Amino acid sequence: MTVEIEAVAVPGGRGGLALAWRRLRRNPAALVSAAMLIAILLACFPLAPVFVHLACNHGPNDQNIQGFIHQGGHRIPVVRADGTPIGPGLRTCYMLGADANGRDLAVRILYGGRISLFVGITSALLCVAIALVLGLVAGYTGGIVDSVVGRLLDLIWAFPVYLLAVALATTLAVGGLSVGPLHVSSSSLAIPIVVIAVVFVPYVARPIRGQVLSLRRMEFVEAAVATGAGPMRIMLFELLPNIASITLVMLTLIVANNILVEAALSFLGVGVPVLTPSWGNIIEQGYSSIVTAPALTVAPGIAIMVTVVALNVLGDALRDALDPHARIRIR
Amino acid sequence: MRRAALVVSVVAAAALAAGCGGSGSGSGSGSASGAPVSGGTLRAGIPDNPDYLDPGLSYTNEGWEILEATNNGLVTFKKAAGGAGAQIVPDIAAAMPAVTDGGRTYTFHVRPNVMFSPPVSRAVKPSDFKFSIERLFRVDSGGLAFFTGIQGANAYAKTRKGGISGIVANDAKGTITFHLSQPDGTFLDYMATPFAFVLPTGTPSKDISTLPQWRIATGPYEISKYVPKQQLVMTRNPNFHQWTPDSPAGHLNSISVQIGITPEQSVNEIADGQLDWYFESVPPDRLTELKARYPSQVHLFTRNNTTYFSMNERLAPFNKLAVRQAVNYAISRPALVKIFGGQGTPTENILPPGFGSAFQPHHLYPHDVQKARELIQQAGAEGASVTVWGHNTDPTPKAVQYMAGVLNSIGLHATVKTEDESVYWPTIASQKGDPQIAFNDWNEDYPESQDWLDVLLNGEHIVNVGNNDASNTNVPAYNRMIDAAKRMPLGPARNAIWAKLDELYMKNDAGWAPFMNRQWPKFVSPHLHGLVFNGTYFELLPSMWLSP
Repeated sequence: MTVEIEAVAVPGGRGGLALAWRRLRRNPAALVSAAMLIAILLACFPLAPVFVHLACNHGPNDQNIQGFIHQGGHRIPVVRADGTPIGPGLRTCYMLGADANGRDLAVRILYGGRISLFVGITSALLCVAIALVLGLVAGYTGGIVDSVVGRLLDLIWAFPVYLLAVALATTLAVGGLSVGPLHVSSSSLAIPIVVIAVVFVPYVARPIRGQVLSLRRMEFVEAAVATGAGPMRIMLFELLPNIASITLVMLTLIVANNILVEAALSFLGVGVPVLTPSWGNIIEQGYSSIVTAPALTVAPGIAIMVTVVALNVLGDALRDALDPHARIRIR
Repeated sequence: MRRAALVVSVVAAAALAAGCGGSGSGSGSGSASGAPVSGGTLRAGIPDNPDYLDPGLSYTNEGWEILEATNNGLVTFKKAAGGAGAQIVPDIAAAMPAVTDGGRTYTFHVRPNVMFSPPVSRAVKPSDFKFSIERLFRVDSGGLAFFTGIQGANAYAKTRKGGISGIVANDAKGTITFHLSQPDGTFLDYMATPFAFVLPTGTPSKDISTLPQWRIATGPYEISKYVPKQQLVMTRNPNFHQWTPDSPAGHLNSISVQIGITPEQSVNEIADGQLDWYFESVPPDRLTELKARYPSQVHLFTRNNTTYFSMNERLAPFNKLAVRQAVNYAISRPALVKIFGGQGTPTENILPPGFGSAFQPHHLYPHDVQKARELIQQAGAEGASVTVWGHNTDPTPKAVQYMAGVLNSIGLHATVKTEDESVYWPTIASQKGDPQIAFNDWNEDYPESQDWLDVLLNGEHIVNVGNNDASNTNVPAYNRMIDAAKRMPLGPARNAIWAKLDELYMKNDAGWAPFMNRQWPKFVSPHLHGLVFNGTYFELLPSMWLSP
């Protein structure tokens, strides 16, 4: 993944945000994407239990292999004697069909969305938070600190993202993560979140460092120094607001990317714990039945695709909206 | 541990071996059409490395299928399907042994003209057999339990010095004599398993799977190339000359096994003509479709198998009987059979139906989730953390998830651990691996109930590595019953004890949650013929041939 950001300072302020919002409203693709994301979030979080109630009260992990549904006067097994699960149909129970364990696919996709979005968003927040600290400190202080941080980022950067993520996740999947007195179980969601966050830190920290390097030479920073402001105050109150818009854009793109990585890791069996439904897990568990029950793979795949496309379009739109050069085009 | 495949005409086989009647079930040979044609390369696939290519260590069907084509013992199960395949016939022995001393002494005459493959290239000697049996003790073989009845074997197991006194080899006379501590009706069955296959004296006391200079064959094929995770190639053994009709020369020139082919991939490649044969069964979800589209290429075989979850009685919460019984109440056996594509029949018994009168179906655990919850509460095990182990070959992960879901529903806190199949079986057979509850299945080593109850549940055989008693079940009273039954001649009285033990174990110990007697559906190339399913060796590679 590459994140391209022009090293142009973007002064903050209500005027800038208002202008950005105005530009965003004029971008129909962005509005559609935002609406889709809101719909997905609503469906996965507050509305999922409502759907469960409608869908015969089967939770995401309820196995109903021996169950039946009644449709059109017929009694249909959820899983046939030969192991073939019921397919999609116009009904509330098993709308998208069931998997081999008799679990309702639609319900699992909604609850799996919770996990995938949660992992994607929290890992992106963690990644951006780490990257902000490293980028700000390295870019502002320079010298040996910059060199050390730079080499650390280079070290992570040197590994292919997925290879590093799989290696880390596999290692942590054996004994969990122990840092001092803190122990995180190998079955904890924190493991994929930390792994995904760490592997993308260089991709976010480097552009932030570049931004900070250019900003630190600007007059408003020199003025703050002249008034006696310390490094911490300058970083938090002068530099941070000026890289907020760029960070927001990157956050959107990183969320989309992290959802894909979560799906990949879960598909490989080293992501979200098997018993916790996530879009990646659902695909992995349905993959072996792709010929006879394609919905098990296609439906969560579509959910990932729609979410990622919406996030990417919104991220692009945010970038356009917050780009200072765009102001000229609008006028 | 014998997992995956195994087949056959088990019922008839058991009828012969166990001296019982019983209705026959399918076995048999696959698509034989016309006279066999020699030549060609069988393009085979396997999902992962065979566990070992060492006769002393291999304990999976895949390993035994390969080793059956490359190595030999003093006796063999007849290389045939059905009841005939349960018959023991001479192999490297010139004739069936002379049994004396009230069934305690077996004397074999070794054929003089059986050669080891290059680079050893010399005739097999009686002392090679003595060496091979003693080597089992030095490599901690999973088949040790078969040979501890030989005089001096237990002492040798402890000291590993001086050899086993009860095995006397005379190279000059070409004889080898086994002195047993007590009569054992199934001693010849043990001698027909790959554990008793001969290796040349001097073979290292370690796994020889990846040591080509020590992978010495006596059979029609030798393993000429083995690159783990990539490829295994078997070619003709240049030193092989057929010595008996029961030691077939094989029709194929070579067998090329591609490692890493998933079950799903195998179906597609066989349908596309890129693959001829696959070690494993058809993925459950493809069976219906394949039967409809390629009816002549699908073969369904009954097998002597029990598929079950083993609960480690040494580890909490399964160290409590009530918890083990709760699991038996909580699982729906028909549901688990559906997960396996309906390829089997539900069971609560330890023994499979193919063992004649030793199989007396009992119904101790009707599906009752509420009762299971109550038992968990009574045991004070609510919220106990449990990890359900399984391997990653479909549909096992689904069965493991099912079990974890069931355990959660009765008040335990279950997670899942799946491992690559190549490491799964050795791992769960090790006390270091120590799974709490693990997916397991067992297929016959030889056609008699002792192969289940003595091998899998007699606590006297618990070892640290290669442990077949995955539940660490050790009930001294039942151990003594097993030991007594082993001394009895094959027949109804012996079978009655096995049947009683089956019920006692499930009622009073419940270290297993048996759920299915599995069947074995295969999908093969239309050009592949001569499929012969033997109860012990499973599919016989030397019988296969390819039509042009």
